[in-house]
Amino acid sequence: MMHAMLVALAVSAQLTGSWEAYPLRGEGFGSGAAPKIKVQAPAPIPEPPLRQPHLDEWRALQAQNAERTRQGLPPPSTGMACMPEGMPGMMQATFPMEILETPGQVTVIEEAFNQVRRIYLNAPALAPEDAEPRFAGQSTGRWERGVLVVTTVGVKDTVRFRNTPHSTKMRITERIRPINAEMLENQVTVEDPEYLTKPWTWTWMYKRWPGYKIQEYVCEDNRYFEDPAQKYQRLRVN
Amino acid sequence: MRRHFLRAACAALAAFAGASISVSAHHSFAVYEPNVQIKLTGVVTTFKWANPHVYLEIDGTNAKTGEMRHWLLECASTSILNRAGWKFNMLKPGDAVTVIVSPLRTGEPAALLKQMTLADGSKYSNGAAAGKVTIE
Repeated sequence: MMHAMLVALAVSAQLTGSWEAYPLRGEGFGSGAAPKIKVQAPAPIPEPPLRQPHLDEWRALQAQNAERTRQGLPPPSTGMACMPEGMPGMMQATFPMEILETPGQVTVIEEAFNQVRRIYLNAPALAPEDAEPRFAGQSTGRWERGVLVVTTVGVKDTVRFRNTPHSTKMRITERIRPINAEMLENQVTVEDPEYLTKPWTWTWMYKRWPGYKIQEYVCEDNRYFEDPAQKYQRLRVN
Repeated sequence: MRRHFLRAACAALAAFAGASISVSAHHSFAVYEPNVQIKLTGVVTTFKWANPHVYLEIDGTNAKTGEMRHWLLECASTSILNRAGWKFNMLKPGDAVTVIVSPLRTGEPAALLKQMTLADGSKYSNGAAAGKVTIE
């Protein structure tokens, strides 16, 4: 009893609650309430430092996608097929996300696609080759002087954040910490010896949204079915 | 005829709807005319509250041309609309609405909703990804 109480007391509550992406994404995406404490927005995510020929292929795909979008022909994507973003994309908080801290575990629930991610604290790190590939990968974490350091391996090959290919050796490290009473910072580092020439790093920020209740998002609900020719979901016409 | 139009519109949506890196969780709205907005006044026939996109069907008259057609209007997700002040049971068949929309580039009667005005004058946006209205 006493032990359980002590364990409960040891659980951090700094991250628990609902969060929205910062900078704010506009009407319908978040609270619309500007932060009370002024902070500098993070720099845009840089181009992935891909090895050749992957970098040239990636740039060609970006150009092709931009041109198709300009013509009103946006290319099919995993999102259009109602597939979840997976890691690290689910941490960009397209819709708000909820973080729950319980003994030994931090759980992240991203509203978009009902994505759930479990981070096991102080658990043995998984070798990438031993981690069953999943959309959210498999995450272990530890607190280091007020920073939650999370390592993720085992992300499915089909998960392509920003159209970036990766190998089974990809490792994502996140350093998550409160930077003031209402904001979190997530410093993300992606390493992949097969595909990247150097670590790919950027920072995401989240603003606390007190009282926000995460909604359901079952993407397959509205009369969609997979078109065998196009390989993505489209409206079903009855 | 109406059925044919709807089928064609949906086929067009299906053929062109896709996604890029966008502010939408599901897909971009590039299939719609980015710089054309039209106003329709009409009556709700179907209000489908579901993800990834809510659909509204109306028998609507173009305020400029007077032409009446059956329109399929694409809205954002249920979550975006909830946050923009909508409610799942706010519309029913027969309700009068006035909408400002951007039509499909193909000219078929399907469109992206920009703004909806109900009979009591209350206005509802379709979220930031759908863009702002530029006409009255």
